Amino acid sequence: MILFLFRGILRDKSRFLFPFSVVTIGVALVVSLVGFMEGVFMGMIDMTAKLNAGHLRLVNKPFYDEEHLHPLDRALAAQKQTRLWLEKNSSPKIEWSPRIRWGALIDVPNANGDTKSQTPVVGMALDLKSPNSSEVRRLQLDKSLVKGQLPRHFNEMLMGSSLANDLEVDLGQLVTVIGQSFDGGLVADNYVVVGLVKFGITAMDKKMVLIDLTDAQSTFYMENMVTDWLGYLPSFLSFDYYRIAKKNINSKLNTWMKNPPKDWAKDDQPIAISILDQQNMKSMVTTFTIIKSSVVGIFTFLMILVLWNAGVLSGIHRYGEMGLRLAFGESHWKLILTLGIEGLFIGILGSLVGCIFGGSFTWYLQEVGLNMGDTFAKSGLMINDVVRARVTLGGFVQGIVPGIFASVVGTLVASLAIFKRSESNLFRELEAG
Amino acid sequence: MHDKLITLKEITKVFRVGEENFTALNGINLQIESGAFMSFVGPSGSGKTTLLNLIGGLDVPTTGDIFFKHTKLSSMNRIQMAKYRRENIGFIFQTYNLLPVYSVYENVLFPLLLNGSKEKDARERVMNIVSKVGLSDQIKKKPSQLSGGQCQRVAIARALVKDPLLILADEPTANLDSKNSLQILELMSDLNEQYKAAVVFSTHDEKVTRYVRREVGLEDGEIISDKQ
Repeated sequence: MILFLFRGILRDKSRFLFPFSVVTIGVALVVSLVGFMEGVFMGMIDMTAKLNAGHLRLVNKPFYDEEHLHPLDRALAAQKQTRLWLEKNSSPKIEWSPRIRWGALIDVPNANGDTKSQTPVVGMALDLKSPNSSEVRRLQLDKSLVKGQLPRHFNEMLMGSSLANDLEVDLGQLVTVIGQSFDGGLVADNYVVVGLVKFGITAMDKKMVLIDLTDAQSTFYMENMVTDWLGYLPSFLSFDYYRIAKKNINSKLNTWMKNPPKDWAKDDQPIAISILDQQNMKSMVTTFTIIKSSVVGIFTFLMILVLWNAGVLSGIHRYGEMGLRLAFGESHWKLILTLGIEGLFIGILGSLVGCIFGGSFTWYLQEVGLNMGDTFAKSGLMINDVVRARVTLGGFVQGIVPGIFASVVGTLVASLAIFKRSESNLFRELEAG
Repeated sequence: MHDKLITLKEITKVFRVGEENFTALNGINLQIESGAFMSFVGPSGSGKTTLLNLIGGLDVPTTGDIFFKHTKLSSMNRIQMAKYRRENIGFIFQTYNLLPVYSVYENVLFPLLLNGSKEKDARERVMNIVSKVGLSDQIKKKPSQLSGGQCQRVAIARALVKDPLLILADEPTANLDSKNSLQILELMSDLNEQYKAAVVFSTHDEKVTRYVRREVGLEDGEIISDKQ
């Protein structure tokens, strides 16, 4: 019977093409929009995590409370011991990387040794020299280098390409880092710029310099000390996993604090935070989820509305058929069930085709991207100039489920009128043609 | 001697029309035997269609009882009524009411699928009945490609294919010219002989009355004549 009805649907263009097109277009739009939104937002999350937030972060609370001042005196000592503890007490899925985030003045001398240019910079020290460094891989520094090479020797520096341009710095230039040491003294140390990097993030390319962790420890007198331990998780894990991992580490930290490493200061209090606790990410994620759900919800509602009307039109078009089936002894429930199955069939077919169109467009935006560098130039957002969509299983699910749901619900709502149809009028109605 | 197929006892049907009651049928007592070939004759508003509705299980009487063999129709619920129609009654309409997107074969197949048959099991039966109504060479055509007479033949095949005990035909020749009307009536008469399904017409076409073996006259909701 179902196959018989499907045959009828496929032959009757007026009752197939319109609802099919509505579902196809609706699903294609939802898949594309969700893919684009996911791509932009998750791209920003990923980028922020890789650059300076990590998915998880172990930091000394006194440092975290004043981190805008880069208070190196509140960095966390016992680097080796801390690494061992983290590896033992956290999920093996987490990859930990030590960092020092610092702030200083960069002074660029001219040929006479006088200041040619000078500017405050945001500095990050990380493992740049180890063979197979996970940081180099994670930040794709090889690809980000527009000129020069990665640091290999003592006191070598990578500089943001725009910053280098502003300071009129080229490869081989000696620059002086003027800042504050761990113990509050003035430090001035020379570095050679060996590479210019372009992350495609305006905020970073204009302000950031990268040096190796061991060089920073030497410059700022921070032997065996770091300001941060950034933890990285596989990208397929959800935000919920971050929350669980954070809770787990914090509960174990409480135990560790009863017998802390001897190098820690008395008021040191390491805490684990997730990316959601940083840079207002939690409210951004909430806002993003609300916006995404609203988009999906609005599209679903609109599809239901249109498909309901399509169902009513189809019901008028098939008024004779419905009456005939009732007269021939098909129950109202079975009639509505078969209409629901028809809606399901159109929903599935439309959703699949919609996924192909929407998925192809999303894939195109994922591979080619959309350059929005001019728009982001003054925003200071940690976001890549080229925004890319992201093809995800979740994106397809968020398109298919509303597509099928709208098709079935729209058809069923429209077919409720069948219950109001009285069999005693069927002869009269059917004879009216 | 034929068995009693339908028995109507003191049937009254009253419709509410605005503020007033309209009595469509009043004190009808009637028996229809298996294999009958009969008609309800009368002017518009005499109660012919209402009577077909009640016998066909599409409506229930205000008072009185209708029995199908020994089963009381008025005690059935909506689902049981649907089953009664599905299994026992064939309908033929004045305007054919064929499904336009389906072929002749598929239109005839349709009631069997509603009854739960599989298409492959029903194929031979459908081909056989289509052949009986003389449309074997039109089997793949859609209703829009057929004449009025051919459409009514398809409707007859569709009514007969599930082997019902009773066929209710409401003005089946009203949309046909004389020649086609006579052909249809002859066909129905032949099939009545072959299939032994009782056929009840509602009509005011005199051509029909010449073919039936029994003619029940109705006027103002009452039986005024019953000619064998």
